[in-house]
Amino acid sequence: MGNLRQPVYLEEKLEQVRESGRLNIRSKALPTWCPGCGYFSIVDGVTMAINQLQINQKDVTVVSGIGCASRFPFFLDTYGFHTLHGRTLPVATGIKVANDDLTVLAIGGDGDAFAIGGAHIPHAARRNVDITYMVFDNGIYGLTKGQTSPTSVLGFTTSTSPYQNQDRPLNPLLMMLSYDASWIGQSYAGDPRHLSEMITQAIAHRGFSYLHILSPCVTFDKTSKTYSNLKAQVRNLPDDHDSSDRMAAIGYSMDVDTPPIGLFYKESRPTLSDKLDLIVDKARGRNARASG
Amino acid sequence: MIDSAMTETDIQLMFCGSAGDGTIAVGDIFKRAMAEAGFKVLAFDIYPPEIRGFGKCISRVRVTSRQAYSLKHQSDILVSLNDSYAIPHVSEVRDFGGVLYDQAPISAMAEGEHISGHLQPGQLPYGVSMREVSDQTTGGSKAKNIVALGFLAGLYDMQREPFHQIIRDKFKHKDPIISESNLLAFDTAYDEGVSTFRLDFIELGTPERQDIGSKVQMMTGNAAVVRGCLDAGLETFFGYPITPATSIMEDLATDLPMRGGRLLQTEDEISAIAATIGAGYAGARAATATSGPGLALMVEMLGLGVMAEVPSVIFCSQRGGPSTGMPTKTEQSDLHLAVFGGAGDAQRIVLAPTNVEGAYKCAGKAFEMAERYQTPVIVLLDLYLSNRYETVILPRQNPFEADSSKKRSHQERGVPYHRFSFTDDNVSPRTVPGEEGGIHTVTGLEHNELGRPNDQPDMHLKMSEKRHNKLLGALDHPGITIQKRFGDEGKVDVGILGWGSTFGEILEAMLVAQDEGISCSAMKVVMLSPLPLQPVQEFFSDCREILIPELNYEGQFANLVGSAISKPFTRLNRVPGVPMRVADILDEIRRLAAQVKSAA
Ligand SMILES: Cc1ncc(C[n+]2csc(CCOP(=O)(O)OP(=O)(O)O)c2C)c(N)n1
Ligand code: SF4
Repeated sequence: MGNLRQPVYLEEKLEQVRESGRLNIRSKALPTWCPGCGYFSIVDGVTMAINQLQINQKDVTVVSGIGCASRFPFFLDTYGFHTLHGRTLPVATGIKVANDDLTVLAIGGDGDAFAIGGAHIPHAARRNVDITYMVFDNGIYGLTKGQTSPTSVLGFTTSTSPYQNQDRPLNPLLMMLSYDASWIGQSYAGDPRHLSEMITQAIAHRGFSYLHILSPCVTFDKTSKTYSNLKAQVRNLPDDHDSSDRMAAIGYSMDVDTPPIGLFYKESRPTLSDKLDLIVDKARGRNARASG
Repeated sequence: MIDSAMTETDIQLMFCGSAGDGTIAVGDIFKRAMAEAGFKVLAFDIYPPEIRGFGKCISRVRVTSRQAYSLKHQSDILVSLNDSYAIPHVSEVRDFGGVLYDQAPISAMAEGEHISGHLQPGQLPYGVSMREVSDQTTGGSKAKNIVALGFLAGLYDMQREPFHQIIRDKFKHKDPIISESNLLAFDTAYDEGVSTFRLDFIELGTPERQDIGSKVQMMTGNAAVVRGCLDAGLETFFGYPITPATSIMEDLATDLPMRGGRLLQTEDEISAIAATIGAGYAGARAATATSGPGLALMVEMLGLGVMAEVPSVIFCSQRGGPSTGMPTKTEQSDLHLAVFGGAGDAQRIVLAPTNVEGAYKCAGKAFEMAERYQTPVIVLLDLYLSNRYETVILPRQNPFEADSSKKRSHQERGVPYHRFSFTDDNVSPRTVPGEEGGIHTVTGLEHNELGRPNDQPDMHLKMSEKRHNKLLGALDHPGITIQKRFGDEGKVDVGILGWGSTFGEILEAMLVAQDEGISCSAMKVVMLSPLPLQPVQEFFSDCREILIPELNYEGQFANLVGSAISKPFTRLNRVPGVPMRVADILDEIRRLAAQVKSAA
């Protein structure tokens, strides 16, 4: 994967983190990502968010699938579970069902999420599992060295689409809006401040938060979702966007040419754990009546 | 009751009719009444695969004074609630057994359609007025099944009280009139049965006296699994419906929340096992239940459970396969999948109980083992065991450990935590999220002691050894019988090696063979992985001939044993979708015994 011929870059990166005082949340393992990969700034964003929310590291569990993005847990000094390709969400759900007190972050790439893991997303969303799901969307399969993904743009050429991708990409935000996720936002790896702010909000939300992060794969995508292209396309959601207005959010989600970043939609409703607690109450009530 | 205080009871009844005749329902009342009266019961129903319509239902109930191991091939009485369905089963009634049928069906039947014309010489006809009594007492023909039951109870001179109790219980949520009219139907038929016939060819006998204070219960294998889970302190359950495992999830859906536990119906089996492993990683006792097709979907996750050393418990009730196969038929053909399924060298623990009591034991012990050895544990049942009823005596004291995990010792706390440290028993002390000083990441990648990805040859070898050797501890796990020999001791002519529910038929066959003077014994193997090789080897050297009967085409258990033992043996494979016939096993035992004799 990529080349690691520029250790200087990593050192600089670590230096920056050290200065920010967040180093204790970083693990001692050096990221295995290619220099320049968008994922570095996401690690920063997450450590900043954990720092800001003052969550004890021992209470954070980071769950991921398989892919470059999913290497994430190794680079944090928190509990972590690097699972299987596509299975981030059900494992994270099990962890949350077992222990409500944990802050659970679920992480995957666009292939992990929307190809092999696609069946799990609507269910985690509709159940409102209280976890934060971050998908790092680079529109390509990074770890397996550059194949087409469900979010690859039309006409994109990859090793598995040598005659160009003929299928229209999925629209993850539109899907999430229809799946009933209770917090939906988008950010961009080229804007670290926005990123950390959005991650902080997503973690703080009680319920299923979905944060879509546009992130370039500098090694296998030289033409499509590059820093310079994304920089030119991305814009902020208008200030007057009402995050309780689902229809407006749907409208913005359809703008794939100039993707808006920010909070699309948010609602407050019972989480999966709330509902499971209610079931316990009901069962005990029935039991008490039966034996009383 | 007839003066028969010392008589051993052993009768088998068979109810046959359509789904609409209340066939299964009446079999259920009968077996519950018998259990209530203190008898031992073993019962198994066969339903049509269709939900609606009028497919054939058969309910077989064996009533004994001491617990039987299997159903008999031949019943003492066949109760026909629908002659066209029951006629093919007349041959399953023993000589001098009886057939109980409605002597005056409302529609005039054509020649040959009435069951009375199909009885074999020596079988006794009991034509009774089912429909008529039902009409008189309830104003309709729906209570025909209860009437048949009344006649039956009268014929045998059984106590009425247990029947009354169960019938009342059955209708307790309905209008009291329904209960009363059914009781009337039962009593009217009972009196008529007593006055008209007498089954003087059979003595019912008395139930064996129970230990004072012990509570005998009648339950299915799946219900026993549920009890085992609850007694073992199950906290979370994740499942996806599939026959014949569904009732485990359904019962837990009611019972688990009463104890503060949590159950989630997931979107598929992959999620079910994934969430189970997630919950196990977070430190909860977690389980899922499925059948072969679901287990097939789960094997990638099982591999992760093995690699990341996370506890999980998977109940798999086998049905006919491959693929969707025969969902309502029994088979033992998922052994290969359970023991070997998945990528890489992924050894796990597999337990296969042989009866309902064993299902309870294995269910509870599975949680201890999963935690103690940090591994997935599969409990392999089958439709026959999942659905059959047996009277069992469950221990009054909860026999399961509440926490079997290996924790960090005092000295170990405070030093950098190595999740996968190498230890004497190959089990590393484990921490769970939320625990101070125990932060770590687990992965499906090969890793070092810290859990960091590492694919060096030395490390892969050491970790492979660790994962395999730690499971050997399970062979000595306290409080569970992982293999056992029955019958003649020492050197014998014929040994029968078996696993799973078929072991009941094996024991019955062995007992008959012993009565015939054949020197034989039988061994059950409950732990299929890791295999208790030494006792199996000893059994092989003690037996001149070995027979391995199982309900699958390939001889999956035979393959497993054969890969470890070079001595030749005989396979007996059947795939009828129903339990193996005791007679088939017996024939093979006789043949092998004759072979030994002629060689001598
Ligand atoms: C069951 C299974 N199938 C395929 C793979 C191979 N595989 C590993 S990562 C990956 C795709 C990664 O792409 P993505 O999820 O978009 O993440 P990225 O690497 O781009 O961050 C694939 C196909 C696997 N590990 N497991
Ligand atoms: S996503 Fe692309 S740039 Fe990032 S680590 Fe993977 S291959 Fe390298």
